Amino acid sequence: MFTVVAEDIAKSYSRKVRALKGVSLSVDKGELFGLIGPDGAGKTTLFRILTTLILPDSGTASVCGYDIVKDYKEIRKRVGYMPGKFSLYQDLSVRENINFFATLFGTNLKDNYETVKDIYSQIEPFERRKAGALSGGMKQKLALSCALIHRPDVLFLDEPTTGVDPVSRKEFWAMLKRLKEQGLSIIVSTPYMDEATLCDRIALIRNGSFMDTDSPSGIISKFDRTLLSVKGSRMPALLKALRADDRVHSCFAFGDTHHIVMNKSVSADVIGSLHSSLLARGFDDVEIKSIAPNIEDCYMYLDTINR
Amino acid sequence: MKSFRTFISFVKKEFSHILRDTRTLMVLLVMPVVMILLFGFALSTELKSVKVAVYAPSMDVITERIVTQVDASPYFTVSHYIKEKSGFERVMLSNKAQVIIAFEENFYHRVVHDGQGAIQILVDGTDMNIGQMATFYLNSIIASCRQELMMESMLNATETLLPPVMINVNTKMLYNPQMKSSFNFVPGVMGMILMLVCAMMTSVSIVREKQRGTMEVLLVSPVKPVSIILAKAIPYFTLSVVNLVTIIFLSVHLLKVPLSGSLFWVIVVSMLFIMVSLSLGIFVSTIVNTQEEAILISSMVFMLPTLLLSGMLFPIESIPVVLQYVSHFIPAKWYIEAMKVMMIQGLDIRYCMDSVLILCGFLVVIVSASILTFKNRL
Repeated sequence: MFTVVAEDIAKSYSRKVRALKGVSLSVDKGELFGLIGPDGAGKTTLFRILTTLILPDSGTASVCGYDIVKDYKEIRKRVGYMPGKFSLYQDLSVRENINFFATLFGTNLKDNYETVKDIYSQIEPFERRKAGALSGGMKQKLALSCALIHRPDVLFLDEPTTGVDPVSRKEFWAMLKRLKEQGLSIIVSTPYMDEATLCDRIALIRNGSFMDTDSPSGIISKFDRTLLSVKGSRMPALLKALRADDRVHSCFAFGDTHHIVMNKSVSADVIGSLHSSLLARGFDDVEIKSIAPNIEDCYMYLDTINR
Repeated sequence: MKSFRTFISFVKKEFSHILRDTRTLMVLLVMPVVMILLFGFALSTELKSVKVAVYAPSMDVITERIVTQVDASPYFTVSHYIKEKSGFERVMLSNKAQVIIAFEENFYHRVVHDGQGAIQILVDGTDMNIGQMATFYLNSIIASCRQELMMESMLNATETLLPPVMINVNTKMLYNPQMKSSFNFVPGVMGMILMLVCAMMTSVSIVREKQRGTMEVLLVSPVKPVSIILAKAIPYFTLSVVNLVTIIFLSVHLLKVPLSGSLFWVIVVSMLFIMVSLSLGIFVSTIVNTQEEAILISSMVFMLPTLLLSGMLFPIESIPVVLQYVSHFIPAKWYIEAMKVMMIQGLDIRYCMDSVLILCGFLVVIVSASILTFKNRL
């Protein structure tokens, strides 16, 4: 049985702003499901619909077997939610925050200490400190503890790692993994493509619709084009030249290299021919390699063919 | 039981928010005190021993009589006698007097034989309020003097004193015969402070949760939204009661407002008004999304009209008719009216029942409006 099922969910804020254009997903018990997409793709809207905060224009969804429109009260007892800009109560101490959220769900820290121990023990030394004085990483840990204090069946985390340092981000994902192993279903959204591989399954979301939903490896295995990485000394000019080449399907700057997706019908020795044509145009120090695609390559590629 | 404990922890949390923001708290607690002191003493528009200089070329019986009466009144003290006409300006400029009473030459003779004596009153116009009131008072003192003189002359009729020209200064002043301004503003300050603490602070505190994203978490919890709102209202209700007690205490002991009516009913009606303001604040918070909007709406839509249209600064009768109609829709107006009846006129609650009932009507309408607009979702 799926913990979260959504069927063709659509939501518009006005005639022009169509946040979600009919998305479907299903999340299994004990699954870590990632919503991967840039800002404004519709991630937060989907979260708010699934947590019963807003109503969809069309489509149905259920969380823990309860309908999000009819049985919203039941759902609210069973989900943990950490909104994107959730900032806790800055003027309350760590202890007061967790106690408040515990009583909010009719429980207390003592009874549920085991549930949050793994995370809360890390911030426990700062119990008396005001939440506003915590570092970004610690704030997220506290927020996660607050969302977990009532032992929810599903956890909704809206961009939990945005604005958090790389070390804390790694720690955060390790915590999610342990929670998942305890049987918790987790839906997490992130704009960071490198975090996608840490999920069991992901949905690539763009402009309010899912381009693909699969496991990260499944998405990567569907990538059937030749992917090359190109490096040279005049990178901006190189990007322009590559985009003009008719063998190239799309080309993006990717850190200090360019990743290019080739058109379907390219010869086996595409590297050699591309190399020589670039040399002819005056790029004499170009380095071309064939590479395996990552999630970001897949996202960018799907983005170009869905446009 | 469980939900009650949740509610209590909610209220505790709200109290912590208020108590930890010490600066705002100080402002809220000290403001009524400052306002009472300012309006009561510094900004007082009543006259108190205004310095008067007298120019009387012929120091005769009538002149002396008028001067003594002016000096005897609590509003004026005769501080200076001017010998020369040229000394007027110097006296005024050197602040020796704010008012100069100048009698014409041979004043007695003119009054007794010609039937009209001329007196000139020169007033320092820099403080217009004081100036206008001083003229008004002096006129009435002189008028009563003339009336006395006339009565005397009619009684002993030996002297042929022609009836002097009457100056009709007939102003009725009920309830506050001394025009003691400190009395009238007390209900006004009460109305304003309560409106500020309840309507503005409550709406801001609810909207703050919306803006910080904590409201989302609160909504995605089993807690009923009604208890979220009620928990917000309780601390501000408490704060308002503290303010109410401060204001009543200060007005009775410092300003000597008689508070001749029933203290019990004054407090009951104030509580009613506090609830009206709280529900206004809650209503605002359901329709706006940012703290700035909340502050703007509560100050422009609630505070300003309370100040201008409730009869606190200007009497309602003297504002344009259109605005008089508008003023009917301002809860503070009815509250202030009721407070004036009970605190200053010292009458029973029966005499302001209409205001009290209208306040009840406001409460019902606003509470139902907020319930209708309140959302269980975002």
